[in-house]
Amino acid sequence: MGEYLPILVLIVLGLLFAGLSFAASALLGPRRRPTSAKVAPYECGIVPDVEPPQRFPVRFYLVAMIFIIFDIEIVFLYPWAVIFRQLQTFGLVEVLVFAVVVFVTFLYLVSNGALDWGPAKRLERADTKRTTSSTVSRVPGGPPGEPSSGHEAA
Amino acid sequence: MNLHPLFVHGVHWPELLVIVIRVVVGFAALMGAVVMMIWFERKVISDMQARIGPNRAGPFGLLQTLADGIKLFFKEDLVPEEADRFVFKLAPLLSLVPAIVAFAIVPVGGVMSVAGHRFTLQIADPPIGILLLLAMSSISVYGVMLAGWSSGSKYPLLGSVRASAQMISYEAAMGMSVVMVVLLAGTLSTRGIVDAQSSTFFASWYFVRTGVVPFFIFLVAVTAETNRPPFDLVEADSELVGGFNTEYSSLRFALFYMAEFMNTITMSAVIVTLFLGGPDGPTPHVMVLNQLVPVAWFLGKTLLFLFAYVWFRAALPRLRYDQLMDLGWKVLIPLSLVWTLIVAGGLVAGWWVVGLAVALVVGAGLLYRAVVVGHWRVDAGIFPDAPDAPPVSRRQRGALAGRWVSPPATATAGATSGAAVAVGVAPGANAPLGAEPTATTDAGAARSAPDGSGRGGGS
Repeated sequence: MGEYLPILVLIVLGLLFAGLSFAASALLGPRRRPTSAKVAPYECGIVPDVEPPQRFPVRFYLVAMIFIIFDIEIVFLYPWAVIFRQLQTFGLVEVLVFAVVVFVTFLYLVSNGALDWGPAKRLERADTKRTTSSTVSRVPGGPPGEPSSGHEAA
Repeated sequence: MNLHPLFVHGVHWPELLVIVIRVVVGFAALMGAVVMMIWFERKVISDMQARIGPNRAGPFGLLQTLADGIKLFFKEDLVPEEADRFVFKLAPLLSLVPAIVAFAIVPVGGVMSVAGHRFTLQIADPPIGILLLLAMSSISVYGVMLAGWSSGSKYPLLGSVRASAQMISYEAAMGMSVVMVVLLAGTLSTRGIVDAQSSTFFASWYFVRTGVVPFFIFLVAVTAETNRPPFDLVEADSELVGGFNTEYSSLRFALFYMAEFMNTITMSAVIVTLFLGGPDGPTPHVMVLNQLVPVAWFLGKTLLFLFAYVWFRAALPRLRYDQLMDLGWKVLIPLSLVWTLIVAGGLVAGWWVVGLAVALVVGAGLLYRAVVVGHWRVDAGIFPDAPDAPPVSRRQRGALAGRWVSPPATATAGATSGAAVAVGVAPGANAPLGAEPTATTDAGAARSAPDGSGRGGGS
């Protein structure tokens, strides 16, 4: 246990350092009351009129959940790795089976687009009636030689 | 009351004193290293950008960091009105303390003996060494996440949500490449890992013995884990102002800044420990030198990676978020998973390596297929496995075979809802799942081509 004591001391030292820094900052820093513009959320000078979003794309939560699968797998792998030289083939085969199961799950996730980012693309078919002659309006009496077609309803 | 075993037979002051001295010296060295690292980064990156960089405070601007730090003490300590005050003040501590503690496990040099006391040049050598590092890097996710969330502002929130997804994504790959090192070393203690690499120079390092790949996985994962460029989407200045620490000022900001550089130093040192033999290197057998030269080796190797980090920042453009996630999930994690098995197979018998290498190729093929299917499904909006997937009748599918169908009436009106209808009936809907829509129609090809080039880079 003696080897954990330095870590404890280090944590205490770190907290002490931060605490003393805060104290020094409180003593040395200006003590005026901040103006309302100062304490407003920073938005590059624009006055914020919308609350920060409360809801987020579900993919972030999905990633967190998928991460847990892998994290648990890694948690299993550490003790296995430490005593692997005793387990030998048995250990390898067992983790191989485990890894195959995880990998198949992973393939399922990937093939369902669970790890794809960015919005799904809108599929829009180009309207065949819309051509340059129908959308580009020419000024009547424009350059000589070109007939002015005017507007055409799409 | 339970006493620490050290204190069962009364307090052993000399031991306690040695521990405190070790910790204080280590802490001071780390702080000094952070100050120097900030200067080093600014100086090197300014050289790479043909600028002068800091050159006013002290010789070569060496004291610039100190000057900046002192300035921050005199700045107003703001807590935004929208902030969750308690969490807002807690977050810098959650960022700084793990960064400090993580360094404790790094073996800086060999075994020293001073006045009859033998001690290792390392703050602490717990038997779970490398797990402590992983634990600390997990906790530092909280620092970033809570800082952004508690600020009550848009940019920090976006930055922190990105950060937490990014950091946990790369943590998996990072953990897996550590497993490979542990496999070979058979111990979690960092001292044990370093000792296991010290038989011959270079050839016995895990950089070589794990087959190079884990080293690069770890390097990339660590760069993402510490939010260094090119993975610095957390603080992407050009889009998120300053990212998760936008609302922080004065000393609280300084603590985040310090934690970031501390993490960079710690992680460079950990790469050296895990893959480059730590303080291992040719050492003369002379009284004092045989204890100092390993330290020099360690510092030299660490400096190499610190320089590499600055170089990354100067040379590489920031990744797009989907590229970042693709790299983490679809390349690094599967690769590290299979490579772990290959390394384990190598410890059992040679032919396992061959078999598992074949498995790697097969797995890569399957994964590539899965990625293609995944992209197609997301683009087409068709998820047959989803519980609320809209039914597509067989007749309907047959009618749409290989054709790009414009939805009736609505498309001509140009309404966006018309496009949403089209989503349900993508080309090749009747083809077996996974059929690439690319070849079916011109429209499909035109749509898929930029898509494939944009995302294919990761796979």
